[in-house]
Amino acid sequence: MGLLSIIRKIKKKEKEMRILMVGLDNSGKTTIVLRINGEDTSVISPTLGFNIKTIIYNKYMLNIWDVGGQRTIRSYWRNYFEQTDGLVWVVDSSDVRRLDDCKMELDNLLKEERLSGASLLILANKQDIQGALTPAEIAKVLNLDAMDKTRHWNIVGCSAYTGEGLLEGFDWLVQDIASRIYVLD
Amino acid sequence: MEEDPSNPKAISDKTLDPVTQKKQAAMLERLSNLHQSRIQQSNSRKSDSNSSFPFESTKSYLDRFSEAKQSIQNELDRCRLVSDPESKAFLKSDLEKVSISIAELEKLVAANSYFLPSYELRSSLKTVSELKETQENLTSELLPKKKFAFKNKAAKKDQSNVVEETGIRASDSGLAERKSFQSRDSPGFRNQEGAVLVKHFGNSEEGGDFTLSDLKSCEIRVMGSLRALFIHRLCNCRVFVGPVLGSVLIEEVEGCLFMLASHQIRIHHARETDFYLRVRSRPIIEDSKAVRVAPYLLYYEGIEKDLRDSSLDEETGNWANVDDFRWLRAMQSPNWSILPETERIHTVKISNMEA
Ligand SMILES: Nc1nc2c(ncn2[C@@H]2O[C@H](COP(=O)(O)OP(=O)(O)OP(=O)(O)O)[C@@H](O)[C@H]2O)c(=O)[nH]1
Ligand SMILES: [Mg+2]
Repeated sequence: MGLLSIIRKIKKKEKEMRILMVGLDNSGKTTIVLRINGEDTSVISPTLGFNIKTIIYNKYMLNIWDVGGQRTIRSYWRNYFEQTDGLVWVVDSSDVRRLDDCKMELDNLLKEERLSGASLLILANKQDIQGALTPAEIAKVLNLDAMDKTRHWNIVGCSAYTGEGLLEGFDWLVQDIASRIYVLD
Repeated sequence: MEEDPSNPKAISDKTLDPVTQKKQAAMLERLSNLHQSRIQQSNSRKSDSNSSFPFESTKSYLDRFSEAKQSIQNELDRCRLVSDPESKAFLKSDLEKVSISIAELEKLVAANSYFLPSYELRSSLKTVSELKETQENLTSELLPKKKFAFKNKAAKKDQSNVVEETGIRASDSGLAERKSFQSRDSPGFRNQEGAVLVKHFGNSEEGGDFTLSDLKSCEIRVMGSLRALFIHRLCNCRVFVGPVLGSVLIEEVEGCLFMLASHQIRIHHARETDFYLRVRSRPIIEDSKAVRVAPYLLYYEGIEKDLRDSSLDEETGNWANVDDFRWLRAMQSPNWSILPETERIHTVKISNMEA
């Protein structure tokens, strides 16, 4: 076991992970966070700033930052880049018209140096809606195959309504971060 | 602030030559700053147990916030004015400390965000963002990268050029892809003028998403429940819609009347349009002008059941609680108002029949 891994281990003793959730407005970020935290999702307003949730997930403590995606507040996203271990990009798979917007914002985000080490989970949300694009279709539109080869990424279809796919997505994310940061586990 | 007896300038030795004197003064100032920041740190450590604990009082939050903001600003100003080489040696760590203080300020906002009035929250966010920007600009201004960094940068730039090139080509194919999906249209009414457009969904199981786009001078009636509704580019239309279980997303509408019941309503780029709403959460507007709101007044046969099934049978009064994302102040936004009762239309009855 290398010295570096010991240092990392000590530094991250609490097994904390910082997760940043972003995506266009209306994609379902807040609904997803509340759903995986087992909270009531019946009344959710568009997010004016951001929410932080601390969730114990397996043996890890996830600090989830859910930042509003309305156009006015997208410029604040950059405030949350520092020390991000995992990036969750949420897509409304039924909003075909704005997929261009969605692609552009994601591309911008991935250029960000401070996020270059973060694992990327793309959630193709709202799969319960008839006519929603499949994860494979979303991957094509977002051109994910052309992504920087060093990036760890995955795309998972999900529905914050039915809960389908959410655990699969977060399992992958947490495992991927853990294998990078907690070298000893 | 009171005179500090340990003020370094007061005790600098006047018999030394000017250069040494200056150096000494600078050093003493640094020491005093260090001392101050230690005191501050220990103070904040003392209150650490509740530092991330919300105050639940806007006043005490604001006091704490503005105090922290002031001290960060002072520190940034000080850094900007540093000129002697000795203090400059400390610039890097000083600026890093500022960055930590800003992160702490951000945590303070985060911990209190759930009870803060929206305008306080937004202006806090704005302040944090500005402080960060100032700090970043100062850092790149005052601490130019070492020479060897340029090499790195150049190499990286080449790399990113390559990536970008493939990125462009690939995004073209993505565009084509998207176009092909778009032609696989989701249900909706599109590209019509002067028509009456009627759609009846059987039950909430059936209703998926629905789109209204590029309509001019039309009357639209959608009965039954929907999962999601997208509205884009409508001009001079009257739109009556049954309950939407998810959200209504509206973009670019002018001179219209909408009657909508939904869990979320998001309005962008609306001009001179009246919205009769029933909504579970707070409706929001962005980049809009002359928007007026009133309560939902729609009737068709079976609407009570549809409303119940979508949990929209209860009037929450939220139709009047509009948040304007473009408006940062405590005052009422000039972009929306409540439609005076005398100008409201009466309950609208719609049916399958054409006009
Ligand atoms: N049908 C369906 N609707 C969903 C799903 N997830 C979220 N929604 C709805 O989509 C709307 C937007 O959800 P939010 O969670 O507020 O979206 P957000 O991404 O947090 O939006 P911002 O805070 O503005 O960035 C709400 O009306 C949700 O009920 C889903 O999986 N299926
Ligand atoms: Mg949200």
